[in-house]
Amino acid sequence: MDGGPSQVDTFDPKPLLTKENGQPFKMKIEPTQFNNNGHTLCSPWSFQQYGQSGIPVSELFPNIAQCVDDLAIVRSMTSEFSEHTNANYFLHTGSGLQGRPSMGAWVTYGLGSESQNLPGFVVLNGDAIPPGGLDNFNSGFLPATYQGSVFLPHGTAVADTQPLEPKPELQQGKLALLSQLDHGLLEQMGANDAIESAIANYELAYRMQGAVPELMDLSSETEATQKLYGLDSTFMPTQVFARECLIARRLIERGVRFVELTICGDRWDHHTDLKNGHYHNAKGVDQPIAALLKDLKQRGLLDETLVVWAGEFGRTPFAQGADGRDHSPFGFSIWLAGGGVKGGTIHGATDEYGYKAIEDRVSIHDLHATMLHLLGVDHQQLTFRFGGRDMRLTDVHGEIIHNILA
Amino acid sequence: MLHFTNIVVILFCVAGTMSFAADTAEVPTFPPEQVEFFEKHVRPVLIARCFECHSSDARNVEASLLVESRHALLAGGDSGPAIIPGDPNKSLLVEAIRYQFVEMPPKQKLSDEEIAAIVKWVEMGAPWPADNLKPVEVATDDEKELDWNALRESHWAFRQVQSPTPPSVVDQSWPKGDIDRFILSKLEQAGLKPAPAASREVLIRRAYFDLIGLPPTPAEVDAFVNDASDGAFARLVDRLLESPHYGERWARHWLDVARYSDGLGGSSDGAHQPHAWRYRDWVIDALNRDLPYDQFVRLQIAGDLIDPVNGVAATGFFALGPTYASDGGDPEAVAQAMSETLDDRIDTISRGMLGLTVSCARCHDHKFDPIPQLDYYSLAGVFNNTGIAIRGMAPAEIVQQFEQLQQQINERQSHRNAREQEFKKDGREPTTEETEELARLDAELHQLRTTAPPAPPYCHALVDSGSADMKLAVRGNLLRLGPVAPRRFLRILTGDSPPQFTQGSGRRELAEAMVDPQNPLTARVFVNRVWEHHFGAGLVPTPSNFGTTGEPPTHPELLDWLAANFVKNGWSIKWLHRQMMLSAAYQMSSQYDEHSFNIDGNNRLLWRMNLRRLEVEAWRDALLAVSGDLDRTVGGPPVDNIAVPRRTIYLLVSRNGDQVQPDEFMRLFDFPAMRATVEQRTSSPVPQQYLFMLNNAYMLNRAELLTTRLQREAPGDGERIALAYRLLYGRSPKDSEQQLGLSYLTASAAGPPEEYQKRWRQYAQVLLSSNELIYIE
Repeated sequence: MDGGPSQVDTFDPKPLLTKENGQPFKMKIEPTQFNNNGHTLCSPWSFQQYGQSGIPVSELFPNIAQCVDDLAIVRSMTSEFSEHTNANYFLHTGSGLQGRPSMGAWVTYGLGSESQNLPGFVVLNGDAIPPGGLDNFNSGFLPATYQGSVFLPHGTAVADTQPLEPKPELQQGKLALLSQLDHGLLEQMGANDAIESAIANYELAYRMQGAVPELMDLSSETEATQKLYGLDSTFMPTQVFARECLIARRLIERGVRFVELTICGDRWDHHTDLKNGHYHNAKGVDQPIAALLKDLKQRGLLDETLVVWAGEFGRTPFAQGADGRDHSPFGFSIWLAGGGVKGGTIHGATDEYGYKAIEDRVSIHDLHATMLHLLGVDHQQLTFRFGGRDMRLTDVHGEIIHNILA
Repeated sequence: MLHFTNIVVILFCVAGTMSFAADTAEVPTFPPEQVEFFEKHVRPVLIARCFECHSSDARNVEASLLVESRHALLAGGDSGPAIIPGDPNKSLLVEAIRYQFVEMPPKQKLSDEEIAAIVKWVEMGAPWPADNLKPVEVATDDEKELDWNALRESHWAFRQVQSPTPPSVVDQSWPKGDIDRFILSKLEQAGLKPAPAASREVLIRRAYFDLIGLPPTPAEVDAFVNDASDGAFARLVDRLLESPHYGERWARHWLDVARYSDGLGGSSDGAHQPHAWRYRDWVIDALNRDLPYDQFVRLQIAGDLIDPVNGVAATGFFALGPTYASDGGDPEAVAQAMSETLDDRIDTISRGMLGLTVSCARCHDHKFDPIPQLDYYSLAGVFNNTGIAIRGMAPAEIVQQFEQLQQQINERQSHRNAREQEFKKDGREPTTEETEELARLDAELHQLRTTAPPAPPYCHALVDSGSADMKLAVRGNLLRLGPVAPRRFLRILTGDSPPQFTQGSGRRELAEAMVDPQNPLTARVFVNRVWEHHFGAGLVPTPSNFGTTGEPPTHPELLDWLAANFVKNGWSIKWLHRQMMLSAAYQMSSQYDEHSFNIDGNNRLLWRMNLRRLEVEAWRDALLAVSGDLDRTVGGPPVDNIAVPRRTIYLLVSRNGDQVQPDEFMRLFDFPAMRATVEQRTSSPVPQQYLFMLNNAYMLNRAELLTTRLQREAPGDGERIALAYRLLYGRSPKDSEQQLGLSYLTASAAGPPEEYQKRWRQYAQVLLSSNELIYIE
């Protein structure tokens, strides 16, 4: 959720903001990006309790609200950066600087992939790659095999999967010839790992030519499923994100280990006109995300799939200018659902204004440690020797959030 | 925000633990009820909520602060004393638990009652039971304790370079020179035999790709294969070392160390640095003329000071590095940006040229190597007095003359434009007189422009900006300063009291210290890099880390022999190539052998030549060369599209790797992100690379060009197949391969001519995609 969704407008209701709306903000204000701080700004949306757990959700998310008993909402998330690029690197790689491996690369490095026909770490790009660019999905010092492969949620998804030869037998003929040449090379050289793995990758490439179009062919999904996700939506961002969510499910079903979705359209970065901006962003993702959770559940996949909803930071409970909110990394909300997560949970709390996390603070490192734990990996053991030491996604930090484990 | 382990400052084992210098004579005693209050209301809170990070049992002690004794609290941590007895409002501990300073404990604020108790306790004067009032033992970083001589002997890389005598070997017939004696001696000890010599065809292809990064032509292969005279290979090596393409090939290896890119990095990456290529061309030229490596290093550090005309571009080594700026203007962001920029310089010079991870000492003393944090700031001080500027690569007077004239032209142009505005004020037409005046001004401007001297070339270069020592930054935070770090070289490489740098920034003195023959690392690190590029793995398998956490050399004596003789031979890089390539070790086949494989599967002892995969540059250059399309122009501004058939070193590349057209192709084939000095390339044959080979239009285009060339240069299918093998793989096809090709082509020979042509194009594409092209035996 690139841009930084506002906690007090989504999953962390603060009635005091309504009471003091328009009054000078009563807590000490930390420096913000634009330092154009206005008064206390109440949420334009009301909250309602949902499900068995009775967890309140903003009216921005009527569909996700129906799944609230599956969510563990962390209301005390913190980041160390209040600028998009660094905060995105931090969220993705555990470091605010460019160049570290992305969490998807770490997970694929640690667990491998179950897919024979597709890469292990796929990024579905709605059209907004977060600030910081592709380095958010990079393999850093891990071997390049583990870097995120960017797929588009439409068309052919990946470059060069369209066979050059119109007839399959021609393309196959080429591959057969290549394979004969390469096996000749192997014979000539004796056993050789590098050549054998190169041949294996040739074969994977060939299979991707079939697997990617098959992945992208959503016509095999029932009309009900397509509708559930919102493929028929007339609102373009919903339609695109619906495709992303549905393709994500199909990727997971095909054994891909780690999938990241980027949003379509505007970022959640509403320095002005929060009401209009957040409304449209929420509209773009609400139905598709709820559909993904429901669909995974009904297929028995939710308990073996971890779903994480997060932005790189939250927003200020006081206004920027008259009607926007500035960046705030001091306390914001994210949620997790699915495999190993205790649904219907709230973890941590912010102060009465929703400005700073004051209870059970969670760092990005803690989030990473928890995600790895849920995937069956000890974050202290998942290491790679680089620059003279054993590097980790969580560096020397990270504590598992036990409270949200099932 | 900084990414190194937070630990209490403990310097190496040789530094003993010392007592705090607190005055034990003035330990107060407290009434029992106050002590009881402490025991009941304060100590439990400290233990429960603070000890995890602030006691001697903590896994990592944060901010050097311990709260387990009154003395430790009085002494405080990085930020100063934690308590001022009697004055809670001035006590950092109180501010922290009130969340007014740092917010402690970080996970959850203490309860109001707990905070009140601690405030009251500080008010009382911070009572503590008597038995706990004595000073505690904690580690210190008192550097006087360090015995640098002993430390220098403690690890192989810090010891002086020796000139070992080549060992004796059993098989006297194999060695062609001293290198081989070192290699063979280890092989014999392990019960291994060197692989047989590679065939002439394999050897010439290996030598061509190694030295110039291009395949030999069939005629060149024939000439070498048929040259039975003595010294045929030595002459081949000499010829390749004289080729201008040698500099292009080896410059790229160095540009990896220099994390060279045309972009700035960060959010400004799109705006590429217009003169970056001047540094790239300086490196190519320096290698082509065999500039001695010591001078190569000196100029890159201080070329602007040593040779302002010809050496200034060399400082692009630093000047082109990532240079951070803060987004806003707040002091913390500014300090962070400066700190990152300095770290880039330290990291690049230390890992790139010295094989040391000095950056690890940015926030605390290096955990594993004897590099105190103070030494980091001794080096950083040099770059703290160095700025970046776009500088003319011509004598100062010429640059000045040019710039003054340009300024004059600009001023006159503005004057002329202003006059025109005046004349046309209120929409009226200029009078005849006014029109004449404009014409006169235009004529003058034209005259000035046409007679002005041409612009001198410009480059991104370093410039001295001051001459002051900086202070150590506590935990790497430039806003929290420690003791002054005198500018000087690393003590582990020089001794107790290296001379201080006093001239300007100190870069010139730093450059001299780098190439001082007493410095044990500069020569070792460089010969190891050259070895790696010839043999596929370094003698030290971690080429940028010779410290205690790197891997030790497989052949320490050979490494020293090479380093010592490299210096003796005037730091000549071409001398080094000849030594390595004329060895029997280099000329071995890469043939698999089961017996040897079982003993030394990783080929650490070099019983055969390593099979190597071409880097993206050499592979793309080979595609261009064999399809007859390569533009061999040397040097000049970068080209921004892979369709341009210039050598790959000339493609524009951004630092982020996602800004310019060539990025996607380069990154797909393992071109590393130029964020930091690159230790070695990775080689990862991912499926997307093969999708590119199978289906990308670029490959289709190469295949068409190759087909055209084959059809132009050879008469029939058989001859064309043979020519293709000779062009691409430097050998003739075997009969079975001929047959395979013929039957593939003739499958459609009876069909219409377009079919036949297509079939040829497909066949050519398969040959271009084959692993035999991309792997070097």
